[in-house]
Amino acid sequence: MGISLVQVLIVGAMIAAASGVLGSFALLRRMALVGDALSHVAFPGIALGLMFNFNPFLGALAFLILGISIIWLIEHKTKLPVDTLVGIMFSLALALGAMLVPEERIEEVLFGNIMAVSGLDLWLAALLSLISLFFLITFYKRLTLTMISRDLSYSAGSRPHLFEFLFLLVFALMVATGIKFAGALLIGSLIIIPAAIARNVASSMKNYLLLSGLIGTMGALFSVYVAFIYGLEAGPVFVITSGIVFFISVFLVKR
Amino acid sequence: MNILEVKKLRVAYGREEALRDISFSLEKGETLAVLGPNGSGKTTLFKAILGVIPYEGEVIFDKNIRIGYVPQKLDIERDLPITVEEFLLLKEGIMSRHPKHLTHTVYEALDFVHLPASFAKKRFSELSSGELQRVMISWALIDHPDLLLFDEPTASVDVAGQETIYNLLDNLRRREKFALLLISHDLTVVYHYATKVVCLNKTQICFGSPRDVLTTEELRKLYGEQKFYTHTHNH
Repeated sequence: MGISLVQVLIVGAMIAAASGVLGSFALLRRMALVGDALSHVAFPGIALGLMFNFNPFLGALAFLILGISIIWLIEHKTKLPVDTLVGIMFSLALALGAMLVPEERIEEVLFGNIMAVSGLDLWLAALLSLISLFFLITFYKRLTLTMISRDLSYSAGSRPHLFEFLFLLVFALMVATGIKFAGALLIGSLIIIPAAIARNVASSMKNYLLLSGLIGTMGALFSVYVAFIYGLEAGPVFVITSGIVFFISVFLVKR
Repeated sequence: MNILEVKKLRVAYGREEALRDISFSLEKGETLAVLGPNGSGKTTLFKAILGVIPYEGEVIFDKNIRIGYVPQKLDIERDLPITVEEFLLLKEGIMSRHPKHLTHTVYEALDFVHLPASFAKKRFSELSSGELQRVMISWALIDHPDLLLFDEPTASVDVAGQETIYNLLDNLRRREKFALLLISHDLTVVYHYATKVVCLNKTQICFGSPRDVLTTEELRKLYGEQKFYTHTHNH
């Protein structure tokens, strides 16, 4: 089943919009690095999918859900230092994945190739992006409060642990979805960079969420198109251009 | 009628006991001060009451109580891309035990703490630390709580600034009729505003009205062998 450039542009934009909004919540609590490390967890899952011929998306999602459950449990049920464990566990996942992935597919898994996605997967990605976006916007207030301060959430009768878990779940879903676009190594940037740019220039929360989504969308449209014209991969083009925009935005910081 | 009753509360972090055998109660309209040296478990007590950390013993609230909480301002990151108005509205419609709508408007809540309406559009990063603390108080009061927990900043704050905050809280308490539970290490504040005091140093050293329990003897137990002069207010 052939897919057109327009379809890829549309779905790429939807993935990036959802990732951008997701990232703006993650950055409220400076979760940038957890997000980045988390994306590596998908790696062995994808590898298993490729080895045993099932959809790598499912493998990635299964491993990611395992990964977020471990982060969440470490944070709430133990006194162990989260950073260290996350760092070790996720490097371990990356190494395991690197050993398992067939050599000829390794570049695609690491950096993504949205042009090679099948029609069904493409529309599944669109659907999951919409679901994530819907969740994030519906629970905007609770999520913001949870990210700003657990204590304040408790005082107001909300349940921050539950929302932290749901947020991580959406995070896992978006990482698994976005891997086709940017690969296991770069998907973190799809989530973090647009939000980091928006945070530098936004004057309000509404503004911040909107800008994150918009910057992601524009970045995706630009990078898919440029990649198509010049025969490049869209993921790295996205990361490089948005990275440059981030450094420009540093000079526009509203403080 | 007790609005809050704490019975035999114990909190431990791993093997280390942070609080033990804490029992006190707070009635409607009262101001209870929690007094104790640094590291005595005052903030831990607040977190147990809020349900943030696990504890043994009992924390019993009056039915359908609403709680307002003002954390030490250093706990909140200043550089957030959020306006004061957006922050004040975060409570709206999300609270399981609260009605969908807030009792007060953003402007009323700002007026409580004598901030002009123009502050609604300000970003967090534009606030001074005193202003941020006022915003935190208006956040806590916007849905008309029955009990306000106020954690005094430990960082050095100029005395004049602190006095206005306590005056402000006391006036608000009369107007909004909430019970106030406040952490303080300032004896003057305790004598002046509190109807009851709990002294903490991991365990409970005293509980009662400030004039009855804050004797030189008790204060020595609380803070060690330093010289204290006791306050006597005759007005």
